[in-house]
Amino acid sequence: MCYFQIMKVALAQISPILGNLEKNLTLHLDLIQKALDNKADLVIFPELSLTGYSLKDLAAEVAINTRKSPIFSRLLEASEKIDLVFGFVEERDSRPGLVFNSAAYLSQGRVSSIHRKVFLPTSGMFEEGRFFAAGNRFKAFNTRFARTGLLICRDFLHYCSCYCLMADEVGMIIDISAAPGRGVANQETQGFETSQMWELMGESISFFSSAWVIYCNRVGFEDGAAFAGGSFIYSPFGKLITKLSYLEEEFSIQEIDLEEIKKARRSWPFKRDDRPEVILQSLKNIIEKQNED
Amino acid sequence: MKINAALVTKVLTKFIREESHKAGFKRVIFGLSGGLDSTVCAYLAAQALGPEQVIALILPYKDFDPEGVAEAEKVAAILKIKWQKIDISPQIDAYFSVFPTDNVILKGNKMARERMSILYDFSAREKALILGTSNKTELLIGYGTIHGDMACGINPMGDLYKTQIRELGRFLNIPEEILNRKPTAGLWPGQTDEEEIGISYEELDQILYRLVDLRQNPEEVIKAGFNQAKVRRIIEMIKKSEFKRKMPPIAKISSRTIGHDFLYPYDWDK
Repeated sequence: MCYFQIMKVALAQISPILGNLEKNLTLHLDLIQKALDNKADLVIFPELSLTGYSLKDLAAEVAINTRKSPIFSRLLEASEKIDLVFGFVEERDSRPGLVFNSAAYLSQGRVSSIHRKVFLPTSGMFEEGRFFAAGNRFKAFNTRFARTGLLICRDFLHYCSCYCLMADEVGMIIDISAAPGRGVANQETQGFETSQMWELMGESISFFSSAWVIYCNRVGFEDGAAFAGGSFIYSPFGKLITKLSYLEEEFSIQEIDLEEIKKARRSWPFKRDDRPEVILQSLKNIIEKQNED
Repeated sequence: MKINAALVTKVLTKFIREESHKAGFKRVIFGLSGGLDSTVCAYLAAQALGPEQVIALILPYKDFDPEGVAEAEKVAAILKIKWQKIDISPQIDAYFSVFPTDNVILKGNKMARERMSILYDFSAREKALILGTSNKTELLIGYGTIHGDMACGINPMGDLYKTQIRELGRFLNIPEEILNRKPTAGLWPGQTDEEEIGISYEELDQILYRLVDLRQNPEEVIKAGFNQAKVRRIIEMIKKSEFKRKMPPIAKISSRTIGHDFLYPYDWDK
């Protein structure tokens, strides 16, 4: 499965223009070129990187159909030279009238996978469920580098999402995010308190899945909320390999060694000893029982 | 309630810089009273944009607060920001000579709205975005004049309690005298907020922090040792002032109505 041992990942911690597809496409293409100049293999953008996050009614207006959109075609074209992950609002022929918060993995001019955000935060400052339809699956796919799973922001904080990907044999989990920062009581950090929640999850999931975890968050302000930045990569041993600055725009390239997946699984056989059929049966039993009540 | 002042400074200076530029402004403007909030705002703005892009208007009424005016002039000089002093007495006195009143609240509101009116006029003349200086404490209890001191383009201070702003001011090294001044809305000579509201900012902020940030119910706050009457009164103040924190409701007639189901972000296309 692994054709490459060392891969170069570019993280684009950007601040998109809210609701302006054309300008954001330019921003993407510029950074894709920069990634190419640095001989990166994969460049990752944050959640809703083509549109911005706090869209409200704009969500329906900036939605694109992957089969018809000239903007999507431009990115497909760009993916002939480098693999791409980015976020966009998606409309689909099969689900007219609905729009999804989606992430695409493009490679060699083709769509490798599209993930539609399953867990749409809708409480407090979040209102995604009001404007987006929810996706309904977690599924890994093959890339040139490793079997990979895509998640979008909150998906990653529901650890069952990561478990599904682990059961589906991932070696690399990519979570793209637009996480606003909250909480400034902690004197010991240069970031918001909520950044620690993501790092805690990054460390845990990477270690207990023996998989690379790549988290790409955005920065900038929308309607008063500051996106926290602090994108990171954790190794399959749960080691922090890189962390980008909090709150600042940054473009960073990191080499990762895909052999680490194998090595981690030899040291810590969580994957070998996993029993998805037991989990599935247990879940079935639990749900049946709940339905009886 | 402690804040990481370095982080807060970073977030708020970025907020001022990014949001003013997105709105198409290079400069910002605000009323500088010589009190804690507007002084901290001045320090943040100067740090965010450079002093040459910051305009402070000192807008006294007669000699209600000479100490404040002196402190404001001192702050402007320390920061090397642009400033102008405009006495609002003639227009205030002209109005109340036709509609006389002894009600200091009416007078205070009129003054706050006169200052707002001057700020918006100067905002257009100077192409400078208005920074709001209302803090979380006064926004929550409604201790401000709607369309007066609450009016602004963006508000960097509105999620910080008064006591947190003092902490931030200490971090930013604002003059000691301003840190120690009794907060005043300048409603009459010698007026102080704490006497008027009837509770110290320390206690008020503690109660608000529990109710709002920690989502405690009134019983929990009272159980924690706070005076029942005070807690109840603060909750009443929050309730009664919700209208000041909202756009006015629009009567819904059509299938798509501004504020109800015509919903776009403030930073649309920015």
